[in-house]
Amino acid sequence: MTGRALVSLLRRPAPVLALLMTAVLGIVLAVGLHRAAGSAPDAAAGAAPGAPAPALAGPTLDGGHFDLADGRGRVVLVNVFASWCGPCRRELPLLVDVSQRWSAQGVQLVGINVKDGTAAVRALLAETGAESMTVLPDPDGTLAVGWGARGVPETFVVDRDGRIVDRRRGEVTRQWLEQRVGPLLTG
Amino acid sequence: MNRRRALGAAVLVLLTVAAGVALFRSAAAGDDPARSIAAGLRCPSCQGESVADSSSPVAAAMRQVVADQLAQGRSPDEIRHWFTERYGDDVLADPPLSGPGVLLWAVPALVLLGSGYAAVRTLRPAGRRTGVPVGPAGGPGRRTAWRLGAVGLVAMVGAVAFGAAQVGRPAGDGGPPDPAAVAVLLARDLEQQGRYADAARMYRQALETRPDVDVRLRLAFTLVRAGAPADAEQEARRLLAGTPDLPDALLVLGLAQRETSPDRAPETLRRFLDVAPGHPAAGEVRRLLAPDG
Repeated sequence: MTGRALVSLLRRPAPVLALLMTAVLGIVLAVGLHRAAGSAPDAAAGAAPGAPAPALAGPTLDGGHFDLADGRGRVVLVNVFASWCGPCRRELPLLVDVSQRWSAQGVQLVGINVKDGTAAVRALLAETGAESMTVLPDPDGTLAVGWGARGVPETFVVDRDGRIVDRRRGEVTRQWLEQRVGPLLTG
Repeated sequence: MNRRRALGAAVLVLLTVAAGVALFRSAAAGDDPARSIAAGLRCPSCQGESVADSSSPVAAAMRQVVADQLAQGRSPDEIRHWFTERYGDDVLADPPLSGPGVLLWAVPALVLLGSGYAAVRTLRPAGRRTGVPVGPAGGPGRRTAWRLGAVGLVAMVGAVAFGAAQVGRPAGDGGPPDPAAVAVLLARDLEQQGRYADAARMYRQALETRPDVDVRLRLAFTLVRAGAPADAEQEARRLLAGTPDLPDALLVLGLAQRETSPDRAPETLRRFLDVAPGHPAAGEVRRLLAPDG
């Protein structure tokens, strides 16, 4: 296109130009709407795999004190749970079993107990044989929010360097645990 | 002509003032800093609700975090940053613009400016033009076209605005949302999360107010997945009492019987195959029925 043709096109906005603009506008709006519809917040980064684990410290259910920073060199499974949550109750025996089986290799299970009663959670731990589990009561849910949790249950795998390897919303499966924790045991 | 100009200017001023007032009202909504920060955060476990408005436990905990951090003397920006570190940029109600998001604002603005310029050139009387007059550009036909175009554009924007308001409404006009429909939606959500026992409870709740074949079928399938085959069988039999050859009911009955009474399951599943040989699950059922399966 010569310069003169371009100038005359700009002087007299030809129908072609109007069509072009409309098409571009349409495409941009379509892309924008599609993005708005598709971007469910759960694709978020946040406490994402590879990121350093957020701080986790405080009094435990049995009267002791826990600090995740002291646990460097260990693989820590952080489980956000509550006794009033069915899937949490279901998955707890599996988590306890897996962590006990791998405890010699340095795996520790730590629970963030969200908005729960002391008696109720003690009963749950006794029922599932999880009395040995380190539990941090989180009566107002702020500890869980510090980990970017969206609900219960949610489980994070923290490696020996204190980095989050993976997270899972909802009930964990044995396969998921073995796939995520297994490779960390040799290292 | 002067009067016309004055009118145009008055309309512009009025629109600007209205926009300013609207902006001010939306920005000044929260005198309480905790509330305004919470209103700017999206509840991560809800659909389209802010942390300030949601009653979910996560939102309540997030409000507590906001209050705690304000009490510690952190600034609103620091608090928002703390949340984006944990939940990603999507936790912000107005995430920072990037990539195609910028285009979404820039392109319509450019198109509007461009067409506005073109319109002014065409509609302005030929004598006033500073440039060289180019043929009969501003002829009456063209002007009419531009005016019609402008009216069409305004009508389109109005229609979209009206349509969007309709779409945004959750259910029906005014009246409270149907509790059974809400329960079914919740149940589907739970089912997707793999919380089958909770989902089954919600389906039952929906059935109490509205007995519906599809909902009962979903309940039965959910019960099978929740590991309650006896309950699933009971629901399937209820459905079959109404419609003896309902394929999905036969399917779920057969699947439940594989757990409760394995000797009777093959017969039910064969009946299912006879009734609905083209059912999406038929292939899988044939595989189950195969001698080695």
